[in-house]
Amino acid sequence: MSRSLQILSLLGVLLLAGCATSPANVAGAGTQLETRQIQTREYDTLDKPMTMRSVIATLQDLGFTIDQADADLGTVTATRLHEYTMRITVTVVERDNQRISVRANARINENSVTDAATYQDFFIVLDKAMFLTLHKVD
Amino acid sequence: MRRASSGRRSFSEGFSLLVVVTLGGCATTIPESALRLPESTLDLRSMQTRTLEAPSENDILAATIAVLQDMEFNIERIEKPLGVITASKVTDADSASEKTGLFFLDMLCALGGGGGCDAMSTAQDNQHITLTMVVLPSLSRSSEYKARITIQRVIYDKMDRIKVLERIDDAKTYQQIFDNLRKSLFIQVGEK
Repeated sequence: MSRSLQILSLLGVLLLAGCATSPANVAGAGTQLETRQIQTREYDTLDKPMTMRSVIATLQDLGFTIDQADADLGTVTATRLHEYTMRITVTVVERDNQRISVRANARINENSVTDAATYQDFFIVLDKAMFLTLHKVD
Repeated sequence: MRRASSGRRSFSEGFSLLVVVTLGGCATTIPESALRLPESTLDLRSMQTRTLEAPSENDILAATIAVLQDMEFNIERIEKPLGVITASKVTDADSASEKTGLFFLDMLCALGGGGGCDAMSTAQDNQHITLTMVVLPSLSRSSEYKARITIQRVIYDKMDRIKVLERIDDAKTYQQIFDNLRKSLFIQVGEK
């Protein structure tokens, strides 16, 4: 019994220590390729400015306020303050002179968003905005 | 024999509980609908958007900057090729009625003999308001533009702790800004 308790206490200490340490975590978790795949979608267009405007409209629809946008570098950063703080950065890059690649990465409070479903939700909304833009519907 | 088996059972129960509690504490909770469109999207979009007529996008941007200055905002960033303006201001969020309520709460607490009566420190102190204005040229009609404004604020208490994080959803606020913007645009175009 006392041995069981000892093992339990040791396990408890080890597990809690796992939670308590706060490494700098600069490089982030997850493999680079996997993360990129989850966060990226490609579109058959070469209109970078219109893609960026669609991204901005999508972010506004999702309740974000745009902190910063750069047309040359194709970057938009936005924040949403609603129950929690969510920050998202979206980059728009031309690929092989054929298509446009859009990548989003988001954080909620101090955690990074790593689940594929959340990014899929974002791209569902962006897909609609891109479709309307490409077909020139306001 | 029975003692040994009950010991094993309490060990396995304790172990399972520990694992569940610890994993629960470590797990990052991402809200499921974080990037899904809420049902109120259309209402919110129409509240925050107006269609404006102007000779150019630049006229709308210049008129917006003038309105933001009228409203005592500081311009943080402008990205002209994308029609984005971000502005912010810090204002007083001090409320006399809130402070009176908290004062009485502290008084009651002190009369009750309790220590650490510091409800007053949770009173609102100031608020940081951030506003984004995005101008989008109409895809079907030239000289027509869609302007959309989004506003958020963070309210801090007397100890500089965040008290409220929220998006401004008040239709009157947006209406007032767009009314001012139309006037400013009229002046802007007339001056040319």
